[in-house]
Amino acid sequence: MPTLVMTVNGATTQLEVAASDLLADVLRDRLGLTGTKIGCNEGECGACTVLVDDQAVLSCLYPALKAQGQQVETVEGLAANGKLHVLQHAFMEAGAVQCGFCTPGMLMSAKALLDENPQPSEPEIKEAISGNLCRCTGYYQIIRAIRMASEEGTP
Amino acid sequence: MKTRVVGQSLPRLDAKDKVTGRARYPGDFSMPGMLHAKVVWSERPHAWVRRIDVSKAEVYPGVVRVITYRDVPVNEYGINVMDQPVLVSEGDKVRWVGDRIAVVVAETEQAAKEACRLVQVQYELLPVITDPREAMKSGTPLVHEERTTSNVLHHVKIRKGDVQVGFAQADVVVEGYYVTPHVEHAYLQPEAGLGYIDEQGRIAVVCAAQWPHDDIHQIAHLLNLPEDQVHEIVPAVGGAFGGREDMYIQHLLALCAYVVRRPVRMVFTREESVSRTGKRHPFYLRHRWGATRDGMISAVEIEGISDAGAYASTSVPVLANATSFFAGPYVVPNAKIDGYTVYTNNAVTMAMRGFGATQPPVGHEQQMDKLAKVLGMDPVELRLKNFLDEGAMAVTGNRMPPGVGIKETLRQAALAAGWREQNGHWVKPDLGKPQALHKRRGIGVASAYKNVGYSFGFDDKTTAQVELTLERSGTIARVQVRVGASDVGEGVHTALAQIAAEALEVPLEKVEIAPLDTANVPDAGSSSASRHVYISGNAVLRASQEAKAKLAGILRAKSGESHVEAQHTFRGRSARPTTNYDSETGQCDPHISYGYATQIAMVEVDTETGNVDVLKLWAAHDVGQAVNPTMVEGQIGGGVHMGLGYALMEEFIQEEGLVRTRSFAEYPIPTAVDMPLEIVPIIVEVPDPTGPYGAKGVGEMTTLPTAPALLNAIHDAVGVRSERLPVTAEKVLMEMKRRG
Repeated sequence: MPTLVMTVNGATTQLEVAASDLLADVLRDRLGLTGTKIGCNEGECGACTVLVDDQAVLSCLYPALKAQGQQVETVEGLAANGKLHVLQHAFMEAGAVQCGFCTPGMLMSAKALLDENPQPSEPEIKEAISGNLCRCTGYYQIIRAIRMASEEGTP
Repeated sequence: MKTRVVGQSLPRLDAKDKVTGRARYPGDFSMPGMLHAKVVWSERPHAWVRRIDVSKAEVYPGVVRVITYRDVPVNEYGINVMDQPVLVSEGDKVRWVGDRIAVVVAETEQAAKEACRLVQVQYELLPVITDPREAMKSGTPLVHEERTTSNVLHHVKIRKGDVQVGFAQADVVVEGYYVTPHVEHAYLQPEAGLGYIDEQGRIAVVCAAQWPHDDIHQIAHLLNLPEDQVHEIVPAVGGAFGGREDMYIQHLLALCAYVVRRPVRMVFTREESVSRTGKRHPFYLRHRWGATRDGMISAVEIEGISDAGAYASTSVPVLANATSFFAGPYVVPNAKIDGYTVYTNNAVTMAMRGFGATQPPVGHEQQMDKLAKVLGMDPVELRLKNFLDEGAMAVTGNRMPPGVGIKETLRQAALAAGWREQNGHWVKPDLGKPQALHKRRGIGVASAYKNVGYSFGFDDKTTAQVELTLERSGTIARVQVRVGASDVGEGVHTALAQIAAEALEVPLEKVEIAPLDTANVPDAGSSSASRHVYISGNAVLRASQEAKAKLAGILRAKSGESHVEAQHTFRGRSARPTTNYDSETGQCDPHISYGYATQIAMVEVDTETGNVDVLKLWAAHDVGQAVNPTMVEGQIGGGVHMGLGYALMEEFIQEEGLVRTRSFAEYPIPTAVDMPLEIVPIIVEVPDPTGPYGAKGVGEMTTLPTAPALLNAIHDAVGVRSERLPVTAEKVLMEMKRRG
């Protein structure tokens, strides 16, 4: 089996994977990073969104080997040195979390957006999370949280 | 009432775990030596099962066991009626494609999946019953010939006054036929979990559930075990909306652990989650309403037929609820109302946000708009004239209890949306110019109400335990609340903790809700009927008050104790007893408490494409007392989401009992860009004196008025209605063309 070397949340990780292994399964089952969720396993719901070299990708469709040599970031890596990311704070404050199953993917899509565009407009926020389904919130408090985080700036 | 913690928008207790990825959902659990299970589903919606051959599957590499009906001690379950086989027997029937033939347990999920394909089933096909209106007719083949002589599972009727007299008094009569679809709950977390034998030899199940204690009751029954030999552990739950009130995976996990005596994990695919589990009931609603020239309703005649699907589930109580709400929140002097729920070979239909209160407003609120139109009266004014008020007689003959906030929700929503009161009349706002010449703007109003708590004489109760840990000085160091209420995402744990903190005069940080293990916390009923804040909130409030009184005694006696414990069982009937329908007149006192709601939608319809843009939506909800306003607004956002999907997008489609919408691609739900551009939540607080701090309920009411408000707005914009939901762009365009 091929060896996959990637950086996950800042730590270099090396493991044997099959060519058919998907990144979501490797993160969840092999590395124990169950914060990344699988809601549909067919790229429709966005719950599995993680960042690969700062780009939001659907890890349930993403071949693990494609992450060879890359920086992978999951929800577990958002808080740095025990300090919550500004988006995490904003999600808590704005009521953007209900059942929370979409939350990790939403946070990662939002981070990709703010990294690229620190002051997004409301339509840009909606567009950025339009691939992330949520059945609980109607999205308003999520959009508000992302706007709050953008106003506050990255810590 | 002045409160300190209740009424504050505090972050949820579980928010931090959920934003850091630490919260664990059923699919996140694993155990050493764990096996994997997959289900062999029925591929036929209606057939005799002549033979089940598992011999090839059993010898597939990695397979540990193929579990069939022979392994189930008591092969029946069901939340209301135990009419479902856990696994279908040879010689019995499959009645829909969610029936299970076998469960394959293997060393890997892949092996289990492969072996499922090797299970061979010999079917003898039967006619597939797909339309409840046809299924009602005598001579139609029966879905349950072993139980019934008709496919009609239940009939409820209401006879109030004299409809012939009422229609004779009417100056105008309006009619309508409205069809609502099957709807998928579409919680983001597919069914998943772990079954194992715990260190005490008991069956343990980790899963998402709405009523864990009822699951235990059913699982103990089907495994023929005492209830203390089974327990359920409910971790973070990824949404429910009614869809986890019945068992779809928990009993199978328990059965796997029982048979193989090793930990077994099972995770449904999204396709399984969509196509093999229960749905919202479709209703076929026929309305005929009469009113006098001054705008007073004089008579209603309504028939509602719901598709119960293949098994009873909660179709009877859903029908009972629906029938009590068919005529809306109005004073109706004369009524003839009939509700039927009918077995078919379609998907099992069950609880879903509203529990029979979501379909009725699609009928009564379009009827009200039709009446307003023929009377030449403003739709707000017409509703205000006819609304129920405290002490008014509902269609079931009962007097409305204190705290009727329906008028206030409409007044506040209408004023916010720009309505004016002028010379005693209400005047609709000017909607401004559409963004293009081929677009038309419209505005629509809808009001609705719904019960809080279980109805029709059901003994709705919650037991809560409160334990105080004291400092040496006697001040409260820590509070633990033990209550079997499953937080399915709505935030009930936070709300209950706020109520305890308020009653005990401690900050919220000191209150902990004990992890939900049915072996350790008492039964709190289901996370449904918008009931936990009212019923479980009352239990937590009273247990807290009792603990506080005990603490005062301890402090007086200076006895130096370090713990105080109190337990209280709150029963809804201690506040307001309810009764079941009279079998002839339907007159009864159906519900404990109520929540009231009005939404107003402004839309812009593209006359070239039929596309509907929702520009703004005002949502006014009477919750009695908002325990946590941000969480109430979260319910409003989610309710509007589901209502918008209901009106414009969502339909679970079956053809001859086979499912055609099996994924989010085939069953799209609204995304962030489909939602109204702006939503204005309006929290109305008309207290119910029997609620904790005056609180009622909110969860379901937020979704009731959205669809009819949108439908009325579309009609206001382009003058068309469509009989059948969802009203997609294609349907809007088709209706516009038909009308010329």
